[in-house]
Amino acid sequence: MSKAEAAKRDEELEARFEAEALPMLPGLYSAAFRLTRNAADAEDLVQETFLRAYRGFHQFEPGTNLKAWLYRILTNTFINSYRKRQREPQTISDDQVEDWYLYSKMAEGGLEPSAETSVLESLPDEDVQQALSSLPEQFRIAVMLADVEGFSYKEIAEITGVPIGTVMSRLHRGRKALEKRLWDVVRERGLVRD
Amino acid sequence: MDLSEISCEEVLGEIEHYLHGELDDRRASLLADHLADCPPCFERAEFQRRLKEIVRTKCRSEAPQPLLWRIKVALRSEWRTRGPGEGTPPKSG
Repeated sequence: MSKAEAAKRDEELEARFEAEALPMLPGLYSAAFRLTRNAADAEDLVQETFLRAYRGFHQFEPGTNLKAWLYRILTNTFINSYRKRQREPQTISDDQVEDWYLYSKMAEGGLEPSAETSVLESLPDEDVQQALSSLPEQFRIAVMLADVEGFSYKEIAEITGVPIGTVMSRLHRGRKALEKRLWDVVRERGLVRD
Repeated sequence: MDLSEISCEEVLGEIEHYLHGELDDRRASLLADHLADCPPCFERAEFQRRLKEIVRTKCRSEAPQPLLWRIKVALRSEWRTRGPGEGTPPKSG
């Protein structure tokens, strides 16, 4: 490849990267915030993700899942560089959280089914974000990718590099753990009687 | 409608996959039929569906305006110094 051809190829890659990858910034930032739990680290993580993504962009196969590819770089970058700086929340004994935990607790709290979700809807965003952020990392990543970013199980398996069965188990346990945290918040705020 | 095709226990056990659109069409329509005719299961499914929606809408954080600009600057500086073929790219796929 001549120098001119190489320069042209680079220009095309740059243009394509700007057009296709950069519009993913809002979702990636939101995900980065859930992972790092603070705005400054989230910004750095997103920038690092885009730089790494660009460096590998010539290997990216057009037409395949660009969004999942970017989230994989984000997740890997977080695990490899940011996590070490952060204090991980204590692992909670999630195995004690039974299925339908939140539904049952709220029913016991004397709420009508229709009022149950209204109580949750009335929670400030920050409370729900903190509940999610307080989950152990593997659960937090799985729930964030599935329930906030809307990825399928298969995509999450690709992003996190684990088998689909592991994704399903992390999601199930993560969702239950989140329900427990949300119940704690609802109780602390005095939104139901104990 | 014959509810016996699929039990409440089966429905509730698969509800999180159903709500995430992970069941095949045949299985999904079995669950949908059951939910349409079984108020207790429907109530629980509806609770989980709304909970999922609450998590999705409340856990979005808006990126600060200057971030896009900052990233563009960083990319431009990267583009000036070297092409994409260099460095240590992550694996594609």
